Amino acid sequence: MRHLRPLLLCLAIPGFALSASVEMPEWAEPTESERFALGGGLFPVGLLPNQPDGEEEDDATVAEASNSENDSTVPQPNPTRFYGPVLDTEEGATEAAGEDAAGSQEVAKTDEADVVEEEILEEEVVAYEPLPPIEGELEDLYFAYKPVDYLIDPQRLLTEQKSNDIKRFLEFHSDESNFHIYVMVVGETQTIPEDVNLNALHKEWFSDQPTVMMLYYREQPERTEFVFSEKVRSALPTSVFERIGQYCLREGAATDDAPDQVEKMAIELSIQLYWLTRLADAEGSEAKEKVASSELHEMPASEDAPELLREYVPGIFVEDSGQWVPFVVTVLLVLAGICLFGFFGWLALWWRSREKVPGKPLIFPNFDVVPRLGGEYSGGSFVGMSFDISDHTSH
Amino acid sequence: MRPVDHEAESCYSCGYSDFQASSTYGSNRVMLNRVTDAAACLRKHDRDELAAVLDGLELRFPQMLFCAYLGNLPSHLSLSELGFWLLNHGQVRGAEYARPNENAILLVMDMTTKQIGISLGYFAEVLISDEDAYKALVAARPNLINEEYGEALQTIFLKLAKVLKRNGRKLRKHVSGKQKSKKVEPPKNILDLPPHLIPGISSRTETETKRTA
Repeated sequence: MRHLRPLLLCLAIPGFALSASVEMPEWAEPTESERFALGGGLFPVGLLPNQPDGEEEDDATVAEASNSENDSTVPQPNPTRFYGPVLDTEEGATEAAGEDAAGSQEVAKTDEADVVEEEILEEEVVAYEPLPPIEGELEDLYFAYKPVDYLIDPQRLLTEQKSNDIKRFLEFHSDESNFHIYVMVVGETQTIPEDVNLNALHKEWFSDQPTVMMLYYREQPERTEFVFSEKVRSALPTSVFERIGQYCLREGAATDDAPDQVEKMAIELSIQLYWLTRLADAEGSEAKEKVASSELHEMPASEDAPELLREYVPGIFVEDSGQWVPFVVTVLLVLAGICLFGFFGWLALWWRSREKVPGKPLIFPNFDVVPRLGGEYSGGSFVGMSFDISDHTSH
Repeated sequence: MRPVDHEAESCYSCGYSDFQASSTYGSNRVMLNRVTDAAACLRKHDRDELAAVLDGLELRFPQMLFCAYLGNLPSHLSLSELGFWLLNHGQVRGAEYARPNENAILLVMDMTTKQIGISLGYFAEVLISDEDAYKALVAARPNLINEEYGEALQTIFLKLAKVLKRNGRKLRKHVSGKQKSKKVEPPKNILDLPPHLIPGISSRTETETKRTA
């Protein structure tokens, strides 16, 4: 029995060691853990290998990829494929299906973060509050009195900063041009009351002054209306005004943001009004025909072109003097610079070598000299000077 | 010291001549360096820079001899006499035949009396007037007062070189114009020299042809 105890102990120790288990922390269940998207949802599902949803499939995908590199089910990075945020899940899946079946399945699995972002985006798109109809006090704000500012936006439909920019631009335009611009901003769901006649209002407010009123519906530039005075309308053909409207609408359609649309359209309208003024000044029937047929921008700019327009859109001005003038000026400036550089270089060289005697050897002609004082080489020619400070005499 | 008559054997006023100088200081020849610093007033840096300047001048004017003597002269020896005697009895090393003493521009400086002078050979005195020489000395006066003797000598030699360059061009123009016209004209006073210094300006070829004839 004495001999059996150590033997049993030796056998029991490994048994206990084998039966013991390591104490591990308790992991939360996958369903209970908070889910998050790797990369903040910037990348589509399946592109990153360790995303929670596609974990199992990714493992399989990696395994398959290790077996066969040319397997078509493996989502390979494709330069023509869009890896940004997918706003519309169905569209994304449809597009991806055309390119890659496996990729489409992965893209279709949008996680919750993407869904939340989409909801936020949709909420931003339709964030506008419903606007009241233009009547009563609001109607008075718009149409009761002649506007003081060039931008009429009592509902503050545009952002404050952009409104200030547009106001400043319109004021500058009015300073530079006689053709003033008034911009009236209304909501997209609002309509002008039936009892309001814009042409009559224009005549009442501005009489025969060259003024245009631009009625802009928020984010709907195609509904923009331009109200000119009768005098201006009668002076020029209708095609001119249609073209002005088209140019402005084209500019407005370049962006989706309402303040930007107003700004772009106001700038374009300002440009068009400048040409309109020039067309109105054209005399004679031939000039009128030319006006009606030719493009506005093809006309050369005059010296009295508003400087503001030159600053905003310098590219529209066609210089009448031709393209060779700036070239010649540039060449002359370059030549002048080279000459100046050479002059200063020569000056520097001269300054450095002013105490030297450079040049080729100089040979003097021979002279027939008669010796004097019995000197064989010198006749005693001498010039002297004293440099003693106390003695200023010199010889 | 300039004699009244250029053909005089001795000065009419004081009777000074090379014979008298030889009897006083010796009739022997003495060897000189290009820059003889007997007063030891030039540092090595000054000597090196001055030697570089003289090298450049000798390249520019292959006929001319530029040399300097700096010493502490005894009271009975004047600077002009020393220049006269050195030019007639001295021999500068390395310039034996190519640059005779009559082409020399000798700068003499007495550190005792603080005087400086320029002695010219027969050939050099035609090219450099007294006014130009004095202007060169005056230009170096600030350096001399500040005891910057190396810079002073450089300034004087460079100023004289400019005078040589200017007058040499005048002479060459005159000679080349005369050769083109092939007309024998009386010699003109191109350099506005004093009457006793107006020589018959002629090229070496003309002189040789005359001698052969």
